[in-house]
Order: sequence, then C-alpha cells, then structure tokens
Amino acid sequence: MFAIGKREFFQLFKGVKAILIIILFLVTAYYSAKFAGPLASIAELSTKEASVAGVMFLIMFFGQLFVTSLSHDSINREVHERTMRFLVTKTSRSSILYGKFFGIWIFWFVSLFTSFLIISIITKKINILIFTQTMSLLTLQIAFVLCLSVLIPKPSVTMFFGMIGSIIFPILGGWLVLTTNPAISWLKYVNPYYYFDKKDYTFVVVLLFAGILIYLANLVFKRREC
Amino acid sequence: MTAIKAQKMTKVYNGVTVVNGIDLKVEKGEIFGFLGRNGAGKSTFINMLTGIAKPTSGSFTLLSGDTEATEVKRRIGVMPDYSTFYGSTTALEHLRFFSSLSGKPAQKSACMEALEAVGLAEHANKKAGKFSFGMKKKLGVAQAIIHDPELLFLDEPTSGMDAESVIQIQRLIKSLHNKGKTIFLTSHNLDEVEKLCTRIAIMKEGRIVKIGTMDELRAFYRTNIIVKIRHSIVPVSEEQKLRQWLEGKGTDVQFGDKLTFITVDEDKKIAEITRAFTACKTDIFRVEVEEPTLEEIFLD
Repeated sequence: MFAIGKREFFQLFKGVKAILIIILFLVTAYYSAKFAGPLASIAELSTKEASVAGVMFLIMFFGQLFVTSLSHDSINREVHERTMRFLVTKTSRSSILYGKFFGIWIFWFVSLFTSFLIISIITKKINILIFTQTMSLLTLQIAFVLCLSVLIPKPSVTMFFGMIGSIIFPILGGWLVLTTNPAISWLKYVNPYYYFDKKDYTFVVVLLFAGILIYLANLVFKRREC
Repeated sequence: MTAIKAQKMTKVYNGVTVVNGIDLKVEKGEIFGFLGRNGAGKSTFINMLTGIAKPTSGSFTLLSGDTEATEVKRRIGVMPDYSTFYGSTTALEHLRFFSSLSGKPAQKSACMEALEAVGLAEHANKKAGKFSFGMKKKLGVAQAIIHDPELLFLDEPTSGMDAESVIQIQRLIKSLHNKGKTIFLTSHNLDEVEKLCTRIAIMKEGRIVKIGTMDELRAFYRTNIIVKIRHSIVPVSEEQKLRQWLEGKGTDVQFGDKLTFITVDEDKKIAEITRAFTACKTDIFRVEVEEPTLEEIFLD
C-alpha cells in the first residue's frame, strides 16, 4: 500500500496540471490573506475566516474539478493499459486502492497545508477548524473520483462524468443548503456542504461518506477483471 | 510438495466456456509447459491462477496457500501475456517499484543483476516508452524474478524476441530451475517446450487433453515404432529363419542385404531384434528409431 501511495504521490507532482493547480492555490492563499481585512468588512466575516475564505471557496466550487482532472483515471487507466496486471499479481487489490487513495490524499493535504501555512504566516492566525473542514471535503471528492474510476472502465468516460459531477455538486449542494422545501430539505443531511455552514465538528460525517464510497469501490474492484 | 493445485477450474465469458473444469497438480521444482493453439484458454487459466481474473467456478491453491493472501503473492513471480509498462518510467525504476510492491525492496545492484540476466543492463536508464516489443518482454521477465520468487508464471516469455535473446532467456529459465524454482510457462514454440519442460500439458478448447513428461507423451503415441537396422550381410543359411522370426515380431518388414526396416509396438522388441541378428551371425552397425516429435503429438 505504501509503495503504491508513494508512487501516486510523486506522479501527481510530475504533471503540468498539478503544478498549475498548486500555483493557483498558493496565489489564492497569498491574496486571500493579504486582503483579509477589507474582505472581512464586506462579507461580514471575522478576519480569521476571511483570510482563508479564498482557499475554501476554491475547494467548495472547484475542488471536485481539480481532483477529477488529476485523478479521474487513477484506477481505470492502469486497467485499460494493463499495467494493473503487474500490480494485482504482486499485492492485494485493497492495498492498490487504499494506496492510490492515500497517495492522492497526501498530495492534496500537502497542497492545502502549504496554502494555509502561507495564510498563517501573513495573518499570524491559524484556523484549524476550516482547514480540517476543507480537507474533509477534499477527502470525499477524492473518494468519489476513485469510486468513479473503479466503476467506469474507460478513462475518457470518467473524465466526462467527473466534469458533470464537478458542475452539478456545488450547485445542488448550495441549493439544498438554502432550500426551505420540506419535501427535499431532509436531503441536506447527505449534502456535504451542509456541514460547512456549522462551526463545529459535525463535518466528520463527510469523512463517513468518503469511507462508504471507498468501501463500495473496494467491493467492486475486488471482483473486477484486470 | 505441491506448488499448484487446481480443482475443476472453469471460466465462462458471456456464455462461452473458455476454461472447462481443469484439474491440475504441479509439484515444486518442475518446469511445467502449457501448450495449446490461440484461444485454447492457456492465458485465461494463468490469469485465474495469478489473480488477474476470477474463476467462474472451481478452486486452486498456490504453494499450499490462498493466492489472494499477500504472503503468497510475495512468493510468486508473474509475467502476464500482454502488458505495457509505465512509458515515462525507466527499466531500473520499474524494478525498484515492483520489488518494493512485492515486499522485498531491491537495491540498485540487485535490479542491475536482474536486468543483466535478461540482457537489458545497458538500457537500465531508458524509459520503457522507448522500448521495443522484445525489450518489453525482457523487462517483463526481469520484473517477475526481481523479488526472488519460489514459483514463476511466464506467459509466452520468448515470443517476439530475437534468436540470441531467446537463448539467453531459455538459459535463465534453466538456471532458475537449477536453483529450485518452480516454473509454469506457456509457449507456442514447441522446440522450446520440449527442450525446457519436465512435464507438459496440451490444452484444447478449454480442457487438458494430454499431460505427462515428454517420454510419457511419446509412449502414448508410440503404438507404431519404425526401426531401421543397418547390418552386415546375413549368412544365406540364416536368412530364411531370421526373416520368419522378424515377421512374427513386427509388421511391415522390409528385409534387405544391409538394411532392414521393421515396425514394432513396444521398446523391448527392439532389444530382442538386435539379439536375433547377433544370434544369426550378423553384425549390427546402427539402429535408428523414428519417434514422434512434440509437433506430431501436438498436431494429432
């Protein structure tokens, strides 16, 4: 599992797309911290919240897109090109899947941590709650993309569905948070964005959703032919 | 001790039975050859044994353990039939990654040794994307042996290689066998199988139709052994007696001055014939026996 994770982590850093996304993160973090004061007064936020609002906005609205663009073919590309045959004959399928998840997760953890570190250095404030909330959303997004990559054999199709999901989820999530319609408002509990409205640790539920997705992906992957 | 034990293994794809209830036992230390035409089900059978595909029914054990167990996977090496490598990764990096995946991370020197054994040492730092088909095959063999496995599965290990590389890989297989490794290989090259394997199975339409050592397979097909005897001139006084005796022992007797042909049904009759010639005061210079080749057995 560790060997797979390590390879996945370093492979992600090699791509141009990943470098561009990291630069976008860092630039957003820098300017978000720099203009935290004015933003706080406009958006009625505390300076602490305003400083990380930019990065959080990026993850909430574009996180799924970023994760999809980098990792949508993490599993099915290897099956499609038959490199997976070397992996499944050397280690268990669960180790491959968890290793991939671990590698991608560490990549996003490092990227997000660096962004928050820059913000903390500039504003001299640390916001652990928002960092963990954002990381939990990224965890769910990674689990979703991996699940998609196991369920759909063709890499081009996962890219398509990943993109559709990237557009639909923030819109649907935002709508479910705001809607007062009692017939569908109960759906807000399965909406990850709902837990970001709360200033507590109920976002742990999002990690549970991620766990369910990875568990399902593992069940399917164990039966899949490589 | 048993290295591979398969019981009633079957694989069905979309209603088509590709592997049909195979029972097989391979002992430790064997080089077991699997022969069959394209589509006979050889690769599907190997893929099931190595965890690439799941059997529709039946069961099997490798090294007396469950193939899904990581502990067992670490003791086997697999070269799948058709696989590509990571295009932007070098041969050396491949071996380091695969060895760490197998739980025995190999040092650079060990990786170079494996590459040397397959004749790829000078291409160690070349990206696999630039490899020819034959070079990829060699890297396939190297990655299968890098973690020093007890049991090796080699699916068409020499196909697509040049003659020199074929000899090098065949020597490597023999040296691995001498070190006590069990090798299960498939090949289209009948000479290769005949030369390397201690036991052979011939697969047809998803079933094993023949199995045994080369001698056992020959014996099975050797109902008609054609014996050619080169001898000195038979004394006239003995000629009639010898001719009659030969006709009683075999069929298609062509009795000549210095050359006699006879068809017999078992080996021990050849010894009796040579004794008969000697008893008739005739020297025997040469005895040639026409045996069925693996090609003839395979095509039967």
